[in-house]
Order: sequence, then C-alpha cells, then structure tokens
Amino acid sequence: MNSCREVRKLIDQSEKPDLLAFDVTEHIERCSDCERFSSERAGLRKLLASPVRVSAPVNFDAALNARLAEVKARRSLWWLSAPGYLRLGAATAGVVVMLFAAHYIGLFSKPSEPASQTGAIATGPQPPAPKAAQKRDMVPSTNERGDNSSAPPEKRIRRREVALGKRIAPPAVLATDDGGVVIVRGQNGEMDIQMPTVSVGAQPLLLVGAGRRVTPSGGRTSF
Amino acid sequence: MAAVTHQAQAIELSGSRSADAASDHDLLAAIRDGDEVAFQEIVRRYRNPITNFVYRMLDDYDRSVELAQETFIRVYTSASRYQANYSFSTYIYRIATNLAISELRKRKRRKVVSLFSPFTNDDGDPVELDPPDLNMLQDETLIANERRKAVARAITSLPQKYRAAIVLRDVEGLSYDQIAHTLSLSEGTVKSRINRARNLLKEKLSAYI
Repeated sequence: MNSCREVRKLIDQSEKPDLLAFDVTEHIERCSDCERFSSERAGLRKLLASPVRVSAPVNFDAALNARLAEVKARRSLWWLSAPGYLRLGAATAGVVVMLFAAHYIGLFSKPSEPASQTGAIATGPQPPAPKAAQKRDMVPSTNERGDNSSAPPEKRIRRREVALGKRIAPPAVLATDDGGVVIVRGQNGEMDIQMPTVSVGAQPLLLVGAGRRVTPSGGRTSF
Repeated sequence: MAAVTHQAQAIELSGSRSADAASDHDLLAAIRDGDEVAFQEIVRRYRNPITNFVYRMLDDYDRSVELAQETFIRVYTSASRYQANYSFSTYIYRIATNLAISELRKRKRRKVVSLFSPFTNDDGDPVELDPPDLNMLQDETLIANERRKAVARAITSLPQKYRAAIVLRDVEGLSYDQIAHTLSLSEGTVKSRINRARNLLKEKLSAYI
C-alpha cells in the first residue's frame, strides 16, 4: 500500500501523468487529498502548456544567414578584430622573430674580411698584436710554437687569428675529427675525454693548456 | 564506426537522399562537411521550438529571436566538436538554455526593466502598462490573453534554476532524462527542481487552475 507522500511523488514525477500505475489510481480514487493534488497538477500542466506557442518571425532565416555570414567573415579575419592586447602580442612576437632571424643570419655581427685580405695575412708580415690581448691570451701563436709548420694553411690562418684576438666564424660544416675534449681535473691530475662536437654548454677553445695539444687535429673543449 | 557511418550518410545527404528524411545526427555530420542545405534543414526543424523556449525563459520576443539565432550560429560553428552521445535536441536545448541563463544573469546585473512593465504593485510584482484598446474583443480572447500574461509573469518570477527545468518539462515536453543532460544535472535534482517550481507556480496561478 502506497502512502500519500509516495503517491504524490509518483504523480508529480510521472513522465506520462495520464498513464499512472493501477495502485496509484486506486489510491487517488480513495484519498480526497491525493485526488485534489492530482487535479491541481493536471491543471497546472495544462495551464503551462496552453499558452500559444510563439513562432520564429518570417525573416528568421534571412537574418540568421546574414549573421552567419558576418561570423564567417569575422573568423577569416579574426586577427584584425582581435582585442588590442592580442594584436600587440602578435606584433611583439613578429618583432622578436625578426630579431632572431637577423641575429641568425649575422646582420649584427662584424663584417667578415674578404678572402683576398685573409690570404694576405697568411702570407704577408704579421701585424703586432695588442698587448692586452697578448697578455690575456695564454695560447702561443703558431709561429711562436713552430711545431705546426706542416698544418694546412687554412688552419694556420685560423690559429693566428685566435692569437690576435680576432673573432672567427665557425666552419659551415664540421668534420668528424672536430670533436671536443673535456678536461676533468681531479686528484690524479688531468684526464682527457673525447667528446662529440655537439655538447650542451661547451665552448670550443683552441689550444688550451700549457702549450701542448692533446689531439693533433681536434679542438679542445673546456667547461 | 559511428563517425564513419555518419560521414557516409552525410555524403548521401547531398546526393540522392532528401534532407527531410535525414536524422539530426546525419544533418550534423553533413554540416561538419560544409553542407549548407543540411544546416537550413536543422534551422527549419528547430527554429520554432527554440524561439518558443527562449521566449518562455525571457518573456522578451525580440531578444528571444536574437538568442535563437545565436543558438544556431553556435551549432554551425561548433559542428566539428559535436559528439553524438545524446540526442541533438538535448544538445541544442542545452545551448539555448545556457544563452538564456546568461541573458538572465546579465539582466540581473544591469537591473534591466522592461519598458512594458515599469511599474509594480504593492506586492512588488511587475504590472504591465496596458493602454486601453478601443477594439472590441470577445470575452474568451480576453480571458485567454490574461491567462497567458499571468503564466508568463509567474514563470519569469521563478528563480532561474527552477525556470529552465519547468519550461523544458511542462512547456517543451522534454523527458526528465533529456532535461538532466541539457542542464548537466542528475535526474533526481531535476525532479526536485520541477516539483519546487510547480509548488511555487501553484501559489501564483491558483486563480487560473
């Protein structure tokens, strides 16, 4: 037997109020309060559903298509209609990219010397190096060492420029023997470890140490 | 598998099959592929129910039409993200409900007062400015008109969380399951809200029941 509370709950929550269960309808016939509740709910449902349903206006489709065309146009040019901070951010990002590109292609670096002038350095008399550069640079020049006369002319030029404190552009293509050397200083003295050229944080230094090279052709890398 | 089926049906849609016979899911799949005819069919099917639903929520016809159009624009622009987990009617009513609730919140913040109800009675209920109509009307029309206004006033006086549930159930005729998915609530919460909304409406509309 259902209580009045349960019956009213079933009446209220029924998906189809006209098709209640038999025991519920039987209870409604016997209980005047539940019968009144049922009629009130039915009247309320009828009242809410009875108002004339409004329809869309006749120009609904035309107005919708016009708005949709605006939306499509806005989406294709979203960056023009974006808020100010978005446009400012896009402009800043563009400037940063341009700066990186300019730095990468070397617009901000010193102009490289022409090849004919470089050749003159290799064959002609050497200009005197600045004193400060000579003191700071512990690496002797190739001519001072005199033990590398058999090295190719290109390498001699590069080492001379290092001794003179000049900036040398890295070679476009690195050979396999251009690997670096890490010097680990421990209790047992120096230990040289061969490393590949690509290593994070390594700066290739030519001829570091007490004037002797560890590897005949490769550079050295020191942390 | 379902997506493949829908795509295949969408291809058929622009070909031999008529858009009238296609299901809502098929039409959405066609819209996703850029079929304008499918979108027009969706608009044709749902423009009146959505406009009526938003109108019952806001009691403002012009704004209801605008929000109904906004609903269809969102359906179009987000067709690629539509997932056919539930019925499309649940999906579109959900968009319309969110827009209507957002509009109600805006109005609450701005304290918008309708030009047609600038006055209130002693109880604080809005009283419509109803200039005298010199045309003769039948009594039945007058009564029906008065009843319609009373129902609209009663619905708009409900808290918005009750309003959406009762309009979807008793005006639009959605099932409890559909309302639960539309409002992202449990079915028990929906039933509870509808019960409370009916109790509130019964007090306000006792003279018409």
